[in-house]
This record gives sequence, structure tokens and C-alpha cells, in this order.
Amino acid sequence: LVQERFLPSQFHVFSANSCSANIAAGAVVCVESEIRGDVTIGPRTVVHPKARIIAEAGPIIIGEGNLIEEQALIINSYPENILPDTEGVEPKTMTIGINNVFEVGCVSQALKIGDNNVIESKADLGKNVILTSGCIVGACCQVNTCEVIPENTVIYGSNCMRRVQTERPQPQTLQLDFLMKILPNYHHMKKTVKGTSTPVRN
Amino acid sequence: MASLLQPDRVLYLVHGEKKIRSPLSTLYFCRYCSELRSLECVSHEVDSHYCPSCLENMPSAEAKLKKNRKRICNQLNENFRCANCFDCPCCMHTLSTRATNIPAPLPDDPSKTAMKKAYYLACGFCRWTSRDVGMADKSVASGGWQEPDNPHTQRINKLIEYYQQLAQREKLERDRKKLARRRPYMPLAFSQHTIHVVEKYGLGTRLQRQRPGAPITSLAGLSLKEGEDQKEINIEPAQALDEVEPLPEDCYTRPINLPEVTSLRQRLLQPDFQPAGASQLHPKHKHLLIKRSLRCRKCEHNLSKPEFNPTSIKFKIQLVAVSYIPEVRIMSIPNLRFQKECQVLLTLTNPVENITHVTLVGCEEGDPEDINSTAKVMVPTKELVLAGKDAAAEYDELAEPQDFQDDPDVVAFRKSNKIGFFIKVVPQREEDGDVTVSFKIRHDFRNLAAPIRPSEEGDAPAEAIWLTHHVELSLGPIIA
Repeated sequence: LVQERFLPSQFHVFSANSCSANIAAGAVVCVESEIRGDVTIGPRTVVHPKARIIAEAGPIIIGEGNLIEEQALIINSYPENILPDTEGVEPKTMTIGINNVFEVGCVSQALKIGDNNVIESKADLGKNVILTSGCIVGACCQVNTCEVIPENTVIYGSNCMRRVQTERPQPQTLQLDFLMKILPNYHHMKKTVKGTSTPVRN
Repeated sequence: MASLLQPDRVLYLVHGEKKIRSPLSTLYFCRYCSELRSLECVSHEVDSHYCPSCLENMPSAEAKLKKNRKRICNQLNENFRCANCFDCPCCMHTLSTRATNIPAPLPDDPSKTAMKKAYYLACGFCRWTSRDVGMADKSVASGGWQEPDNPHTQRINKLIEYYQQLAQREKLERDRKKLARRRPYMPLAFSQHTIHVVEKYGLGTRLQRQRPGAPITSLAGLSLKEGEDQKEINIEPAQALDEVEPLPEDCYTRPINLPEVTSLRQRLLQPDFQPAGASQLHPKHKHLLIKRSLRCRKCEHNLSKPEFNPTSIKFKIQLVAVSYIPEVRIMSIPNLRFQKECQVLLTLTNPVENITHVTLVGCEEGDPEDINSTAKVMVPTKELVLAGKDAAAEYDELAEPQDFQDDPDVVAFRKSNKIGFFIKVVPQREEDGDVTVSFKIRHDFRNLAAPIRPSEEGDAPAEAIWLTHHVELSLGPIIA
């Protein structure tokens, strides 16, 4: 049910960024999205145009069934006090699990994100946070505390109030299916790598 | 420089019981008294109640009581809460109803299952659902949700009835005494007192609007009621207990489960139960909002009356000050220096359709209204003429611009009904804080609302009266 469009290479207009992304078969990644560095994207993941996935200080591994909407920024950046050229800095891998939703305009620098999380519009996750499963970070909430957010936590409100919900958010299967059918009709897709399996997450 | 257009930079003085200074956009103008009124010198009346989420109009309790005395009032309407909409107990947002499909056995054939719709309440902001507190999904979309009953309802209702009866009796005695004393006088004072006095124990929204000249009917109504309620309501006094429930033993040692503890706000919004745990937070019906009308206290004319329909934001009567009084706004301020003369550019806008003549007068020494100014101001001495507001002017290309012969030292520019003019400011104080100047505006006002007496029909449509307003401007800090 997924229509893959294979672009002839001379029509790659937006190839200012090196496309060394490892996009699994079955993922739908629009050409207008900016993917820089060593990025692996799992099957059934949809990356909208104008989304940005930037692996500066280390590789990013994104699992299956994720939905990354417009103007979302997933960046594995250097810590603030370290210059890019410093030697001896080990590249840290950013892992993102399955069925996550990164809504429009969110910024995520968290190094470990589990499954079934929802990061709502314009939320801001810092480098120190670790999301487990089923968490919802509300719109415009900035979370940069040095902690592991417990499962099924909802962070909402201007003061980032928290509460625990009893059920995890549902995976957006309907939306993903719809997008995988419709997006190729209006956008060109990045090339996927045929035949390789998604690398196993630690 | 949007900060110069902030409304609280230019304040107009309102003469009322208190001297209030506030921006013109928040003031009303009573065109029968020809005076400015602020929100504190008008009386506020409730017009109607409506639910902010479903925009349904609730008839006011007064109307209901008048029509159906015998019918039991809908409990919810008396509490001024909407019957259909709920508030999230966690974040106070409006709850929305969501549907899921669950397999349920068919009533005819228990072995087969069919998909039935089940409804639950969910909050879009904090993701609270009615399943979190254990409320079962309902099979109807609306009307299935019940608020839990307060175990103390009966006792509270009885107490309320008793105290209402007591308050009515006290009021009767008070009014009878007053009327007996003031019988030879016109009862205008009486009516004003009854309108504005706060009723004891809140007998509801019943307005005691008595027309002057009809006090006898009011007393007659009250005495009839007293005849009806002859039965006495007795209440048992509350009993004091010696023993109190002891605290649980692990009160100090049990670890706190923070997400389960309710916040003060969540707790106090449910005063019946005040649950300490989040799993007992039940949704409450949404509180209604009011549409209010304003009335001038001196002449009893309405200053603002909104439309009855909750979906309409227009007004039936809207006597706001910005549509009658010329508005002064700050356009640009140079660097203000201590004891150096600076020229400030102000604009004056004419809201009415006829030509307005405005004279500016500085405040004299020892003016009791001039308490805040920290600088000397020299205003233009000549009379400023403002053209009328012409709504069609921008489309009328052939219209000749009116020639007003402005003095270029005074008038900087002129644009349809607005002029820009200069004032000279000399800051007198070197301290921190804003430089404030004040002056008086004197302008002519044609009262188109006043009824024309038949004997003077041949005269000009309306006479002009001169109004004076005290204006204060906040010009910002001194830049050294």
C-alpha cells in the first residue's frame, strides 16, 4: 500500500545537505525535509516537508511508525560548553523509539525517547531529559530538567504542571496510513535504501 | 513605537463619587448628564446568563420565578450552571465528548457481539478522561453524566430556607420603619436605597426596582408574602463533638504520591467534597457567564445594553466615551531633559460628524485636580478646529480638502478628522519615574439625543454646550 517514488538523481533540487540518511523501505520522507548527518529512519515513519533532523554530535536512530511534522527540529547537538572541534569527545547516539509523534514546530534534543510519546506543538525538550513511554509533553512546555520522566506522564500548562494518566496515547495508525498514501501525490520523496533492515536499537 | 499608543498613557479625569483617572477607551459618556462616567460610578445589572461553550441562553432566575412559581425550578439553573457542558476538574478547561466503539452483546442474541458506541469525557488540554476517576462510559452522547450528590445537601437547604425567611422578616421591619418615618416625602430616596443596598444572605437576583411614587404596592407585595409563609422553619443547632477521628498511623511515614495529590485550586473548585486525591475529582457542570448592562446612577439612563443573543457581540445601547469625546494620543516624544524645553507631538481625533472646536488650557497653580504632573507644559493658545468624521471621505476623490489655515508652529499635520499638534514640556523633577503633564481640554458638544421642544423647532438642530475635561499624559522617563 505504499507507493514509492524513485527520483532520477538529476532532479534532486534540494541536495545542499548531504543525504547520507539511512531511510528504511516503507518510510515516507519528503524531499523538502532537511536531514543532515548520520540518521537512520525506520519503516512506516513519516517525515513531513520542512522537518529538520540534524545529527551534529552523533548519530540519530529513529524507530518505526513515528510521525514528524512540519518545522519539527530533532537535533543531536554538542553540549554548550564544548566546541565542535574538541578532540576526545565521544559521539552520543540519540535514539527515538516507535509510534512517537513530534507535532509542528517542536524542538527535541533529548537523547533517549521511548515509545508512544507525543511532543505537542512548540514544545522544547532539552538535552538532559529522558522520556520513557506514553508521555505527553504539552504545547509550548519547556522541559530541560535532569530526569527520567516516568511513564504515562502528561506535562501541560504554562507552569508545566504534571499529572499521570491511566492509559497511554494511542498510536496514530490511521493518520500514518493516510499520510503515506497522500503525501507522495504532492511531494517528491527521498530515496529509501532497499533491502537493509532497521538497525537493532540498544 | 507601539508603546506610545498604549491606552494608559493618556488618562481622563472622571468626576464622580471618587475622582477616577482612566483611559478614554474604558469610559462611558452619559449624554443626558453630559458627563464622563467610569465603571465605578455606574450601576451594573445582570441582563442574562449564558454558557460560554454551548452559547445557550439561560433565562434569569427572576423571570423563571415570576412565571412558574409552583413548578420546581431546575436545580441546575438555580445554581447557574449549564446542563450540557462540563469543566475538567484538573485544568478547568471545557470537556469534550468522545466516542469509541466497543463490542457489546446484542440484546436479542447474547452470543453475537455488535459494535456499540460508548461515550466518555476528555479534556484536550491536560488529557484527563472520565475513565481516570472510574466513571463508566455512557451510551448516550449527552445527558448521561451525573454529578455526585453531596451528603449534606438536605441540611444545607434547610439552613438556607431558615435564614432566607429570617432575612425577609428583618427587611420587612426595616422597610416599614423607614416608610413610616418618610411618609410625607417623595420616596425617591427610598427607591435608591433599596436598589443599591446589598441584600443580606443573598436573596437572589431579585432587583428591587421600585418606580418613585409606588411604594405602597411594594409593601403590599411583601405583606402578602408574609401571609403565605406563615409556617415557621425550625432548625436544629449544630452539635459539637468531643472526639475527633484520629490520624492514620502511617501519616508521617507513608511516601507521598505526588501526582495523586490535588492542588489547592482543584480542591477548592469543588467545595462540596474538596477531595485530597486526584482519583476523586469528578467533573462539574460549567459555570454560566453573564451579560451585563450599565446604568448611570444620576439620571438612571442605560449607558450600555448588550444584545440578548449570546452569539452576538453588538450592543443595543452603547454610549462609550470614544464616540463622543475627542481623543488625545501621543505621537512622538523627543529626548526629555531636565529643565530643558522639549516639543512633544500629540494627535487629537474628532469622533463626531460635525466640526469640533477644541481649546487647550494649562492647569493653574493650585489646581486641586492637578496632583500628578511633574513638568510644566505650554499648550497652544489658539483654538484648534477639527473636521468632522466622514466615513465616505476615503472613497470620495473629488472632494476638495477643507482649508483651515493652520499655524505651522502649532499644527503639524491634518488628516481628515485628526490633527497633530505640538506642546512644549519642561520637566521639573530630576528623579526616576515618568514625566507627567496635565492640561484641560474644552470642546463643544452637540447633544443630538436631547428631545427638541416643539416650540423651538425652527432653531438650529442642537445647541452646543462646552465641556471641559482634565487630561493627564505620561511621557516616559527623563533621558539624561
